[in-house]
Amino acid sequence: MSLHDVAVEKPNVERRLTIAKAMSEAIGQEMEQDPSVLVMGEDIGKMGGVFGTTTGLFETFGGDRVRDTPISETAFIGAAVGMAASGMRPVVELMFVDFFGVCMDAIYNLAAKQSYFSGGKVSCPMVLMTSVGGGYGDAGQHSQCLYATFGHLPGMKVVIPSNAHDAKGLMLSAIRDENPVIFMFHKALQGMGWLGTVAGSINDTPESEYLVPIGKASIVREGGDITLVGLGATVHQALAAASNLHDAGIDAEVIDLRTISPLDRETICASVSKTGRLLVVDDDYLSFGIGAEIIATVSEALPGPLKCPPQRMAHPDIPIPFTPVMEHFLLPDAGKIESRVIAMLGEKK
Amino acid sequence: MTDILVPQGQWEPDQEAALATWLYGEGEAVQKGVTVAEIMVEKTSFEIPAPASGALSISVREDEIVLPGQVVGSVE
Repeated sequence: MSLHDVAVEKPNVERRLTIAKAMSEAIGQEMEQDPSVLVMGEDIGKMGGVFGTTTGLFETFGGDRVRDTPISETAFIGAAVGMAASGMRPVVELMFVDFFGVCMDAIYNLAAKQSYFSGGKVSCPMVLMTSVGGGYGDAGQHSQCLYATFGHLPGMKVVIPSNAHDAKGLMLSAIRDENPVIFMFHKALQGMGWLGTVAGSINDTPESEYLVPIGKASIVREGGDITLVGLGATVHQALAAASNLHDAGIDAEVIDLRTISPLDRETICASVSKTGRLLVVDDDYLSFGIGAEIIATVSEALPGPLKCPPQRMAHPDIPIPFTPVMEHFLLPDAGKIESRVIAMLGEKK
Repeated sequence: MTDILVPQGQWEPDQEAALATWLYGEGEAVQKGVTVAEIMVEKTSFEIPAPASGALSISVREDEIVLPGQVVGSVE
């Protein structure tokens, strides 16, 4: 199936959704037309998901297809792998990515390898949606991102939208994919009042179905002086920094990865070829992370030296602190990105 | 001008409701029926649909506590 990404079509009046609503609308539309799609997880039934990802689905489709589970990630994510092997298309929610420990065998030893181990005869069309990100004082077991942990393991696709439009299109792509897809969503963008929401994540989201392709990054701002690569929440931080930098005479290009794996290396390399400078910003731990992978990609692919050494910004290699003062000191933000870019371009200004 | 009201009877009277999110900004065009704002009641969200089409005017800011039936803005 190949419906087009309708990002370019603009209706007269925008229909704005939060990422939470966009996700639940996508799942609901897919459940409507494909009886093999079902949802499982903790508090995803009557409550509609702690992060609003299944709002209204229980009322529409009932408890058989929108199934609340006990706190038993090992059991229900393992069950989803078996369901996917036998013709169903389960969407399961791991409430916080931090809880991956108890169910990781089902994820990376079963789901990710099912197709390989069966010579392609048994696929694993399941979606595991999971919340990531901190910034709201929820401490070290509810604030991690773990992008690189999942991106590192072969056999799974990993996506993270920065806005509602992409969330809907990526969810439809994820449910229809024959492979396991880890669908991460960032708490700071989710549109749940108790977490605060970045305004830029609420955008025009068509009611009709459309696909945002997995594996394709998006250039969300064009510029010629430096490439800023972000994902999820850091896209909005990079955009805010780019806006301030523009006033200072620096034109930053901003790339929204949208997919962690498979990484859209082409888009990144093409942009850095043009700008000659690169800063990768993510809110996962720094070492062995997204930034390292992207800088390695650029170093391997581009022939000439860049105008200045490529850099990365992320959370340092310690557990995310509970105290807001410490947490915000460590997490990336627009101001830190702005100062880093000015430091990198020192010789130009 | 049509007032935008907090919905009534959707949550228990003793539960505290807050205006969580405005999906559109001051003065922006909205179409009748789209969700203009969301109310959060103990981690569950409720939608406020636009009562008319027109330009949005906001009178209650995000994170403020609201009561059922309260006017939070208008469409003109």
